[in-house]
Amino acid sequence: MNVSKLLVAGVAFSMSAGAFAAGVHGGGHGASSGEPGKASEVARTITVEMYDNYYEPEEITVKPGETVRFVVENKGNLVHEFNVGTPDMHKAHQEEMMMMVEHGVIQGGKLNQDMMNMDMGNGHSMKHDDPNSVLLEPGQSKEVVWKFSDKGNIEFACNVPGHYQSGMYGDVNFE
Amino acid sequence: MQGLVKAFQPSSNEVQLGIKQMKIRLLTGLLTLLMPAMVMAGEYGLTVDRVKIDTGDFVKEGIGYNGASPGPVMRFKEGENVRINVTNNLDEMTSIHWHGLILPFDQDGVPGISFPGIKPGETFTYEFPIQQAGTYWFHSHSGFQEPDGAYGAIVIEPEGREPFRYDREYVVQLTDKHPHSGDRIMRNLKMMSDYYNREQQTVGEFFSDVSKNGLMNTVSDRMAWGGMRMMKADVEDIHGFTGLINGKGPSQNWTGIFEPGERIRLRFINSSAMTYFDIRIPGLDMTVVQADGNNVQPVSVDEFRIGVAETYDVIVRPKDEQAYTIFAESMGRSGYARATLAPEEGMEAAVPQLREAARLTMADMGGMPGMDHGSMAGMDHGNMDMGSSEGVSGMDHSNMGSMDHSNMKGMDHSNMKGMDHSDMSGMDHGSMAMGKGGPSDPFYAKGSGVVPTAANGGKFLSYADLKAQDPLYEDREPTREIELRLTGNMERYTWSINGVKYEDADPIRLKYGERVRFKFVNETMMTHPMHLHGMWSILDVGAGQWNPIKHTVSVNPGTTVYMETEVDEPGQWAFHCHLSYHAAAGMFRKVIVEGGPESTQAKTGVVAEDGGEA
Repeated sequence: MNVSKLLVAGVAFSMSAGAFAAGVHGGGHGASSGEPGKASEVARTITVEMYDNYYEPEEITVKPGETVRFVVENKGNLVHEFNVGTPDMHKAHQEEMMMMVEHGVIQGGKLNQDMMNMDMGNGHSMKHDDPNSVLLEPGQSKEVVWKFSDKGNIEFACNVPGHYQSGMYGDVNFE
Repeated sequence: MQGLVKAFQPSSNEVQLGIKQMKIRLLTGLLTLLMPAMVMAGEYGLTVDRVKIDTGDFVKEGIGYNGASPGPVMRFKEGENVRINVTNNLDEMTSIHWHGLILPFDQDGVPGISFPGIKPGETFTYEFPIQQAGTYWFHSHSGFQEPDGAYGAIVIEPEGREPFRYDREYVVQLTDKHPHSGDRIMRNLKMMSDYYNREQQTVGEFFSDVSKNGLMNTVSDRMAWGGMRMMKADVEDIHGFTGLINGKGPSQNWTGIFEPGERIRLRFINSSAMTYFDIRIPGLDMTVVQADGNNVQPVSVDEFRIGVAETYDVIVRPKDEQAYTIFAESMGRSGYARATLAPEEGMEAAVPQLREAARLTMADMGGMPGMDHGSMAGMDHGNMDMGSSEGVSGMDHSNMGSMDHSNMKGMDHSNMKGMDHSDMSGMDHGSMAMGKGGPSDPFYAKGSGVVPTAANGGKFLSYADLKAQDPLYEDREPTREIELRLTGNMERYTWSINGVKYEDADPIRLKYGERVRFKFVNETMMTHPMHLHGMWSILDVGAGQWNPIKHTVSVNPGTTVYMETEVDEPGQWAFHCHLSYHAAAGMFRKVIVEGGPESTQAKTGVVAEDGGEA
């Protein structure tokens, strides 16, 4: 893999990132996870702790249309993600995250910020800045404000390679 | 350990049918009921028996535990103290080694090193604390009882939660059951090392190579291999076995039941005498979560190679109402084991064909000092491009000087002088840099003919993918390095370390508290699974503090592999190649840990006096 291939891969990554990003247009099978929420509409706050490699809690219950502020804390020793989406969206995102590992953006317990922000040309980068997710180093904490849409098969998940597959996801139940 | 018998309870979560495991839980006195940090003591019984082993291909007398081979799945709980009463019903000495368990050396079960062994008719009581969790196994360390069937599985439940989730679990224990007894196989190998090798190159193959590569090239190739006293087909030296999974041959088809959508943890254990297996489950991704009992950062693969004595735990999630075949092809493609995951008993999926056998290339002998360069001097190197033998760059002698595999340990690029950096600029990430399971793997010689590839073209697990989930030890500089050259002469079937076989060798002396870096240089054409008893092997995959810990480290032909050991257990230990016939031929060392708590020093003397066979 030489530099030019790296660039191509990077471009491919950020382009496909757009396909799943907001989720407002729905995933591959017409499912939708909701949309970025407005801070003014936040009905309640849920704290989600991320460990190696599982969440606490492992399931949450929301109302259709509810806007939730997630306070996400990485209490593990590895990089973890909190991402709200359908299983298909997670699957698509896992390929992008694999690329981030292959390019050294995610290195065990560290995020390579320089690599993430590197300009790949045409304004593309490997930034992980979609509104339905946060990617955190150990000790970091960030918020996600999300408005859930109708009932659907929604999970919050860590798509760092292998983490979802080994069980790092939680169910979103609808009241 | 005075206490009261709580119950005869069938082991919880017992998943394998037909396994009788006697398990008595003892409470260490009534007082412990009142104590929050209660130490449980489990009492277990194993009998060592003559058994019949039916592989579906043949029925054979063998040795087993509690009347069967494989023996029971021993289920322990991290933090408990176990007492295991082992009764020898054989008419010969026996022993049980708890493979991968960290325990006092006199409980390790190696005759002549840990203890004298267990005499016929005698009951020996092992007693040790369980200080770890995960998938392990146990086997006899006496003679060839293990290849004859004396093995079983160990599953240790952790004190805390697992760092992964699953709905059910199965032990998947592999072996390479041979119709001949271990003693007979060893005799035949000593007489004729290729006795069991059916993959030899033939005269016909010579002529087809001549037409492909030209006479001179073919002759030079044969001369070079002859000089090494090895053959290209030496990937495996024992053919003719039936692969078993949980004691069942391919036609008997061991089956694990699931409900679609469930997550299943499969605990793969390779209890073979001699055989590495390439394992896949067509239609399912496998997420590797544990190697040798230790959690690793999960990695999803299509296929993985399990060395002799290794264990890998994977999680699979079959979503469809169908059967899936667990297919385990031997590395040399001379046989296979097969089992099934299915929603109900009796369902089957297609069983793949064996792929063509891999052939070693000249690259696999990389840096072999044993190679007879003298006889090659007369050869016309100009003709030796051997174009058709896929990527045999190693034969360019001008390059071989720079093929210092010792630099390939992990993927620290700064050390990889022999590698072509031009292809890798900008990358700094281990195996990933090499692409997904491509034909190269930093743990195989460059240009090797035996680099595994996934049958579906997907990801094949590499050692370079293994990163500790939660490192047990702080990373620190090793205090010193010990070089162990893995040596042998295939034709005489002698196997040794640094050219010296066990009975002629001095023990390796380590100091309690030091951190030793072992450098394995494989100068043979075979893969050797090196197993250090009693202390963890920190495998250098180039991941620094995230290097995984293992109990068995596989060293491929023509490569150098490093591992480090925190010398934190006093006493004396075995250290050997886990291929049964290699260990018996002398690829074996005693390790003595000097210093440490004084009580253990006294005990070492007693054991040494007793002697016995290892």
